[in-house]
Amino acid sequence: MVRLYLANDTSSRAAGAERLADAWSERTEIQLIRTSSRGAFFLEPMVERDTPNGREAWFNVAADDLPRIVAGVGGTPVAEIPFVQQQTRFTFANFGITEPLAIDEYQTRGGLKGLAAAQGLSPEAIVGELRLSRLRGRGGAAFPVWKKWQVAQQTGSEHKYIVANADEGDAGTYCDRMIMEGDPFRLIEGMMICARAIGATRGYIYCRYEYPAAAQTMRFAIQKAREADLLDCDDSPFDLEVVVGAGSYVCGEETALLESLEGRRGVVMAKPPYPAESGLYGRPTIVSNVLTFATIPNILAQGGAWHASLGTEGSCGTMALQLGGRVKQPGLVEVPFGLTLRDVLDRFGGGMAPGSRFKAVQVGGPLGSLFPESQLDIPICYDAFAEAGAILGHGGIVVYDDETNMVELARHFMAFTADESCGKCTPCRIGSVRGREILERIQRGQGTAEDLVLLSDLGETMKTASLCALGGRAPYPVLTAIEHFGDEFRQGVEFTRPA
Amino acid sequence: MRTQFGARLTEALETCRPAPPDKPNILKTLLAVQSSLGYVPASDLPQIAQVLGVTDAQVAGVLSYYSDLRTQPPSRHLIRVCRGESCTANHGLRVLRAIQDHVRVAVGDRTQAERFTVEQMSCAGNCAVSPTVIVDDEVHGRVVPSQVAALLERYK
Repeated sequence: MVRLYLANDTSSRAAGAERLADAWSERTEIQLIRTSSRGAFFLEPMVERDTPNGREAWFNVAADDLPRIVAGVGGTPVAEIPFVQQQTRFTFANFGITEPLAIDEYQTRGGLKGLAAAQGLSPEAIVGELRLSRLRGRGGAAFPVWKKWQVAQQTGSEHKYIVANADEGDAGTYCDRMIMEGDPFRLIEGMMICARAIGATRGYIYCRYEYPAAAQTMRFAIQKAREADLLDCDDSPFDLEVVVGAGSYVCGEETALLESLEGRRGVVMAKPPYPAESGLYGRPTIVSNVLTFATIPNILAQGGAWHASLGTEGSCGTMALQLGGRVKQPGLVEVPFGLTLRDVLDRFGGGMAPGSRFKAVQVGGPLGSLFPESQLDIPICYDAFAEAGAILGHGGIVVYDDETNMVELARHFMAFTADESCGKCTPCRIGSVRGREILERIQRGQGTAEDLVLLSDLGETMKTASLCALGGRAPYPVLTAIEHFGDEFRQGVEFTRPA
Repeated sequence: MRTQFGARLTEALETCRPAPPDKPNILKTLLAVQSSLGYVPASDLPQIAQVLGVTDAQVAGVLSYYSDLRTQPPSRHLIRVCRGESCTANHGLRVLRAIQDHVRVAVGDRTQAERFTVEQMSCAGNCAVSPTVIVDDEVHGRVVPSQVAALLERYK
């Protein structure tokens, strides 16, 4: 019997993995192992098998390719796939290799070493290791992780909480989903290390409604971890639970998330107090992104200095970039910080999808800036992006082709903010609606020259006066679209109303 | 007041009744009701509020805030078309138009549609195999307008 590996990740299934599994369900000559995905989604559905020289893979497989695969004809060694081979995988090292819920495989491949190391350290020493690592939060805000942990550690309270922010709402991002579906014990291990460092009694994984498979995998993984006695913190049981949201983007903002976790409307709260001092039910709470927690086991296992040696001065470690849109090779790319945007698009993205031409790339989700061809040499790190007035966000990179209408795209962004605004602060609640209306006027060819001035003025107000990043960042994609593709906007202004 | 879901609603609510010192969790309760009944009927708000020990207004506030909480009975099949950036870049709007042309139901129209309801959703996290269409719980990737008819044929 030939053992074949096929990914069971949502995107792999959407690409056809499930059709293969169904078609081959009664084939006795094979044993199908459902793994996580390599993240090379342009090759999915991809089937792998073992050879004496490591795994070989067959790409974009159809059900009738099975005889070829069983005969071992036409496979490509996985180590020779440039998209995979050029990456530096630490957090995603297991992807495509292991079965997500096999705790023994996780352990065989180095899992739980970070937790074991943490158990030999004092809480202060764990925070010290994180300080040395210079890890910054991967959800978007890039706040130094150790500072948050230190505040929660030093704030006295009978109960403390840990929340994994799995409300991965930024369009163009999917690495948290991959982690939860593909390597769930890594997230649990990261959270357990945090629990020990701050003395937490309970943890929650706040998972968006749109990710049912991720929520289910995490529930199974928590059950397995409990059975393996992994969910103990200093000899007392640590309660870990998956909580599902209900379709609100702003619940990815930490204070709104905590409101939602308590069952209320997910409305943003003014800070301070920060959640690390007073969060869930008024107790010290660490809210961190899934990718942040999943990065921590390796840091404890290999040391903070190891992590600090990767990447750039201000952005240490690796970043999980998620390529999407009109690139030829969309997928997950884990590389140390510092490569240029052009490098990533060329080396991993493989250029544009057949028949399309590059127009712009957006980095950092629906609140991220647009970059034209002339600005692609920007290094991927927090500092360079901050200097350019842009954000790396959660690492989403979406490429648009020349068929994209920039006025419509700008309207789409403003409409998104208008839909998703929690309504707490005026600049975001009213500003996004007025912004959308102005863009709709321009789209209909009924705009005036003052409308562009008004839009820019409105943008500045939203940037400075909004309570959270939703209102504060919403103008960036719109204003960068106007900055780089101004002609398209001016057409809508000038044609119908000549001065 | 007895509603059409009387016993099922009571059963769903029983699991969410807060045991002191726990505080009531309105969102969790509404999700449990939706999972049991398929939606949250407006006429049941008073009973939900009463079990949780909160006001009707608090429940209504949470119900209206979250887009995935539904107040109308669902059609047999729910089609969700992703309008995230990667799907937009891959011309997902053309897929949405093809679906609307095919099923002849306007986006968000829950009252007229028996077989299909069509909704737009924000990013489904399936960006690398976009455009994305989710029918019930099945995620379809790399959907092109010409495939729409065949894809929907499977959902009777």
